[in-house]
Amino acid sequence: MADPLVIECAGLSKHYGSTRALDGLDLQVPRGSIFGFLGRNGAGKTTTIKILLGMVHPTGGRVHVFDLPAAEREASVAIRRRCGFVSEEKDLYNGMTVGEIVAFTASFYPRWRADLQERYLRSFELSADANVKTLSRGTRTKLALLLAFCRGAELLILDEPTSGLDPAVAEEVLQLLVSHVAREETTIFLSSHHLAEIDQIADRIGIVHRGRMILSGVLDDLRQDFRRVQAVFDGDAPGAGFATPGVVRVRRKGRTLDVTAHGHVDDVVAEARALGAVAVDVSAVPLKEMFLELVAMED
Amino acid sequence: MLLRPNPSSGVPIYLQLMEQVKHSIETGALRPGDQLPAIRPLAEELVVNPNTVAKAYRELEHEGVIELRHGAGAFVASSTRAIPADAMRAARGIVAGAIDKLRQRGISDEEIRRMVEAQLAGLTGTGAHRG
Amino acid sequence: MLWHKAWIDTRWRCLIGLAVLLLSAMGTVFGYQLVSSKALDITAPQGSGMVAAAIREALELSRTFKGYVWLNAFSQNLSQLGTLFAILLGGGALRSEAPGTLYTLSLPFSRRALMTTRAATGLAELLAITIVPALAIAVLAPAVGERYSILDALVHGVCLFAGTAVFFSLTFLLSTSFPDPWRPPIIACGIAVVIGMFETFFGRVAPVGIFHVIHGESYFRGDGVPWLGLVVVVAISAVLLRVAIAAIERQDF
Repeated sequence: MADPLVIECAGLSKHYGSTRALDGLDLQVPRGSIFGFLGRNGAGKTTTIKILLGMVHPTGGRVHVFDLPAAEREASVAIRRRCGFVSEEKDLYNGMTVGEIVAFTASFYPRWRADLQERYLRSFELSADANVKTLSRGTRTKLALLLAFCRGAELLILDEPTSGLDPAVAEEVLQLLVSHVAREETTIFLSSHHLAEIDQIADRIGIVHRGRMILSGVLDDLRQDFRRVQAVFDGDAPGAGFATPGVVRVRRKGRTLDVTAHGHVDDVVAEARALGAVAVDVSAVPLKEMFLELVAMED
Repeated sequence: MLLRPNPSSGVPIYLQLMEQVKHSIETGALRPGDQLPAIRPLAEELVVNPNTVAKAYRELEHEGVIELRHGAGAFVASSTRAIPADAMRAARGIVAGAIDKLRQRGISDEEIRRMVEAQLAGLTGTGAHRG
Repeated sequence: MLWHKAWIDTRWRCLIGLAVLLLSAMGTVFGYQLVSSKALDITAPQGSGMVAAAIREALELSRTFKGYVWLNAFSQNLSQLGTLFAILLGGGALRSEAPGTLYTLSLPFSRRALMTTRAATGLAELLAITIVPALAIAVLAPAVGERYSILDALVHGVCLFAGTAVFFSLTFLLSTSFPDPWRPPIIACGIAVVIGMFETFFGRVAPVGIFHVIHGESYFRGDGVPWLGLVVVVAISAVLLRVAIAAIERQDF
């Protein structure tokens, strides 16, 4: 019943000297999903991606892509044959023209999709003679996506795909991703700190902080499980913590207790009343606040 | 035809889409037998995850609001169990009356809106409905 | 397409190197007229100092075309230029800060395959820029009324190639340790200069060394092809390249 896992990490660690870039990261990405990998800068997103692609060697733990061990050299080559990647800086060959980099890349992928190549070259208005280094940031991103899409890849790994793009171009990029997923059987793993776009297109998310996964799951489930409970008291709000499990954060503001809860909302409401609350309000928690509250709590 | 869902509202996108479809049926914008947009073009137009659109359609079919005809597409159910128009009118009357009563007690419109949203969110937060 | 990319990444260095060394070789051949006429006019200096001895030897060698060619091209110009271009060709292994590196690493081939292709392409280019000018000397000699054996040219070309390949491999290895493109060639040049000076001072005592092989000195002096020297320099290059490839495989990018 559960979809096979395209990416699976268990206890993944990476130490650079005394710095722990990753500290026991667990990650499951099922096939066909759009997985949003969230985290602050320096939380470990790019390190994880580089480990998946064999650019960085893990210090410990297990990491599998397509059930192949990503830390082993030959398996990593096999993995990369089935992946597309766009780096945060949209790294490409500045010394080549569009036509040259397309031809060069295509030579490594027997399943290269010439039909997609034609369609995207036309719709992006990319001329084969244009030099890669003359392209604008937005066009460069689209070229990078074209090179990733046309490989016939089963997994697309994107590191901050809309970074540095203006809102209109960013929306185009999201549209491309959604469109591609709709047509082809692809899994998309994208890291971002633009919560709004993850909110829009991801069906699963994972929040990484200080090298560990602090929350992951189906986004719709998380939207329904996270609630903010505001309890108002006659006098000053009590200082005691909440005993109910699932409470992420409690903030006292004068006569109000502001509780962010992940599940067990009824119990939290009951406990608030037991503490003497005169009014209890329950409201939804947008992804941005989920993220900020969880990260603040970990800090 | 369908509006862009608001991802930051805290309400799952598929539920928003379902609500929009049901609302369109109630207002008559969609009639029984009308074809809904296919999943892929709709996902592209709204820039949302195609899985989300698929989920919305599946749930709508489960509720009997639409029919998924294999190979042909999604259609508004001919014997739709959408709420009939006179029941909707009566419901609107209830809401108008409640709002009047609250205003008479000196409660502001903004306060009323918050209470209604909190009540709705509180209900779905008890885990009664799981996507 | 790895070969093609390795070629376009290094082709200017190769073509410029080939042009420079070829011009130098031609300069050597056509300069013989000037030198030979003057050499006969200069009286050899007496005296026992190192400098005086060197001048005497240079004059002695210049009396024959073969000696002049060895003195001018194989022991100096082509040797120095060959070393320089070997170092220039050896730089530019996968650099962590270079644009395009992450893209390369995301493609489905092993780092070993990539680096082996790079090294092989560089060495092939080095072979071309050392052998072709050497052969050119033999081919052009009749134009100044002299003769130079093709076999001699070939042997000297191979000695040039095998010896300078050590500096190619050294630069290749150094470029895996430094992310910038400048330090590896500069350090390799420094090392080449130090080795050169070392060999010059100790050359009287024991005629061995990398530059000794590059110059092909024992062959010139009639001791036959320096097989042992060639084997040693090839082994050194092989080790340096192996270590470089292993270093790249271990690296985090």
